[in-house]
This record gives sequence, structure tokens and C-alpha cells, in this order.
Amino acid sequence: MGLLENRFNDNVIVEKLDKLLSWGRSTSPWFFQFGTACCAIEMMAAAASRHDLMRIGMIPRSSPRQADVMIVAGTVTMKMALRVKKLYEQMADPKYVVAMGSCATSGGPYWQHGYHVLKGVDIVIPVDVYVPGCPPRPEALIEGLLKLQEQILDERPLTRKMA
Amino acid sequence: MSTDQDKLITELVEKGLTGDMEPINSIEDRVLRSKAKAALAKAKRAAKSQETAEPKKKKSEEKSSDDLPSSVNLNEKIVYMINEKFSGSLANENTETHIQLKSDQWFEIATWLKSEPSLSFDSLQCQTGIDVGDNTLEARYNFHSMKHNHYTEIRIAVPRKEATIPSVEQIWRIADWFERETYDMLGIEFSGHRDLRRILLPDDWEGWPLRKDYLVQETYHGIVVPKMKEGWE
Repeated sequence: MGLLENRFNDNVIVEKLDKLLSWGRSTSPWFFQFGTACCAIEMMAAAASRHDLMRIGMIPRSSPRQADVMIVAGTVTMKMALRVKKLYEQMADPKYVVAMGSCATSGGPYWQHGYHVLKGVDIVIPVDVYVPGCPPRPEALIEGLLKLQEQILDERPLTRKMA
Repeated sequence: MSTDQDKLITELVEKGLTGDMEPINSIEDRVLRSKAKAALAKAKRAAKSQETAEPKKKKSEEKSSDDLPSSVNLNEKIVYMINEKFSGSLANENTETHIQLKSDQWFEIATWLKSEPSLSFDSLQCQTGIDVGDNTLEARYNFHSMKHNHYTEIRIAVPRKEATIPSVEQIWRIADWFERETYDMLGIEFSGHRDLRRILLPDDWEGWPLRKDYLVQETYHGIVVPKMKEGWE
């Protein structure tokens, strides 16, 4: 999108194209399949047949280059923080991050005395949606992902941003 | 054929037992000769075991664990044997729950613990460490013998400043990662370990987290480590 992104003045055609683009993006946010701790189990349950993330267009991808959404599912240790950052940087634009569970949002049970845990993944990468819970149930994760879809739907990819 | 051969072999074995090895050695047929020799060895072994089963007097002249009354527990027996073999390596004589050793002869003692037939601790179940305070670190080893189904615990205390213990990684391979973890958390150097690196924390981490005087480093690759989101409480 680099060439066309935020290049056009607002008018009817651009608005309609914007809507088409953001609708396309929001209905197929493929997510990056990796987990750092126990929240990953709930993420797997959400992706499996009972909750079935695929009905909202989310397909797990094993490569950061094919993924649009990174679900940080679980405790991010200091050792992992550098790797999470690297993986985020490898994703292609547009990219979104969902911080799933207490650990990824704030450090969780380790937030005061855990010397080895990152106190919230938003310290190293920008987060779009926070899903609280320890771990959150698949319904909660799906709620968060629907919020993310709403957020994507409101975007205007082509329109020039007002200064 | 076989009955003839058997007869021949028994004859030869009888001669061999009296000390006359000539007839066996002069057999031309290799197979027959080796069969005869095997039969002779078997007969000798049987004779020996009969001998040892009857009188047990000769053995008790040497000092061994057999003199100990049968009521002593395993730790007391091990302490007694260590005192015999490796004098001066016991840190104290307390045997109630564990055996406290000094670090200098640990590798030899560990080798012996595994090879001694009456102990044969073939399984190191756990190796861990603890900061016991007073500037002392302690490494603990839990052993189990599959053969005798008995357990024991060995503890080795070292001062914090020169925390070095001989590694038993080459005796029990499982100690490889156990010792790496103890090194990672407490900074006990295991001398002789072939691959002593941190196992859980990143290689460039500073300090030993499970020591009582550990202070968390401020930043790690530019990321602030201690909690910084004030106002959440």
C-alpha cells in the first residue's frame, strides 16, 4: 500500500475505495500463530472448531510475513521480548497487535517482583487491543478481535491525514 | 556326537579343577576347546560360591560396612564408608536427613557413590541449589539406586565469594542441565562441566537472581526491567 497510502484528498470516490479497502482488511485479518505461555492454549481453543476463528476470517499463519495480526498470547519474558519485537518488525504493513491476557497487558502476576518479565508488551511494540483475563476465555478473545475489526473498519487507508 | 563330547568335556574339567590344564590346551578343535574352557570356568565359579557361602570369617577382618549393626540407616552407613575411604571430606557427622560434604573431593566421592556395589546410586534424581544465608550457597543432590531402591541426599556448602564445586556432569549426564540451572540462578561454578552456560536467562543477563543479595538490573537492551507503570495500584 506504500505508494497510495494517505495520498488522496477526501472525496466520494476515495471514500468508497477506502471503505472497500478497510472492509477487505477487517474481514480477513490473518493472525500470526505463536504463543508465549498458557494463553496460547485459549487461543488454540478459539481457533479450533467449537469457537472457530475462521468464521470471522481469521486464519492462523505460521510466518510473520503472511500475517496481519499478532496475538501476543502469554507472558513475555525479557529474553522473548527482543524476539517478539523482531517478529513484529518482520510483519508487513498494515499490522495490528492484540495483547491477550494479564501478562501481555501489564506483566500479570509478575508485574511487581518478576525480574525476568516484560511489564506489558506495549513497552516494546504498539498494541491495538488489550484483552484482560488470566487467561481470557475464547469468547473474550473473540470479543477483542471483533473490536479490532471495528477499529480496522473505521480506518481511511487512502485519505490524506489532516495535519 | 554330543554325548561323546559331553563325556570328554567333563573329564577334561575334572582334570582342570585339579590344576592340570595340559589336556584342555592340547585340543585341536577350537570349538571343543572353548567349550571345555567355558565349562571349566563355570565349575570353578560354582566351587567358589559354595566356599564363600559357608564361612564368612575371612571377610570381616577387613573393615567394611558389614561390621555395622543392621539397625543403622543408609546415611550412617554411607558416612561410615566415606570416613574410611575419603577421610576429612565430611563437613559434619549429622546424618538425620542428609549428608553434608566438603567440595574438594566431591568428584571422587561421586564416582565412588555410583560404582560402589553396595550403594550403586545410578540415578541422580535432582540437583538444585539454595542460598542459605551467611554468605553461603549450597548445592543439593538427590540420589536413587534402581538396584537397591534406596535414596540419599548430599549437600555441599560453598562460600558465596568462591562458589566452585566439581561437576558431576560426566558421571550422571542428567547433571548437565541441572548444573546449568543452578549456575544460572545462583552462580555456582561447576568446574569440569563441559558446557556451562546460562540455561533459562539470556546469556548477557547480569547477576544471579536467586541469591539473597540480588539486585535487578535497570535496563536490558534498552528495555526498562523493573516495574514502571505507576498509578496502577
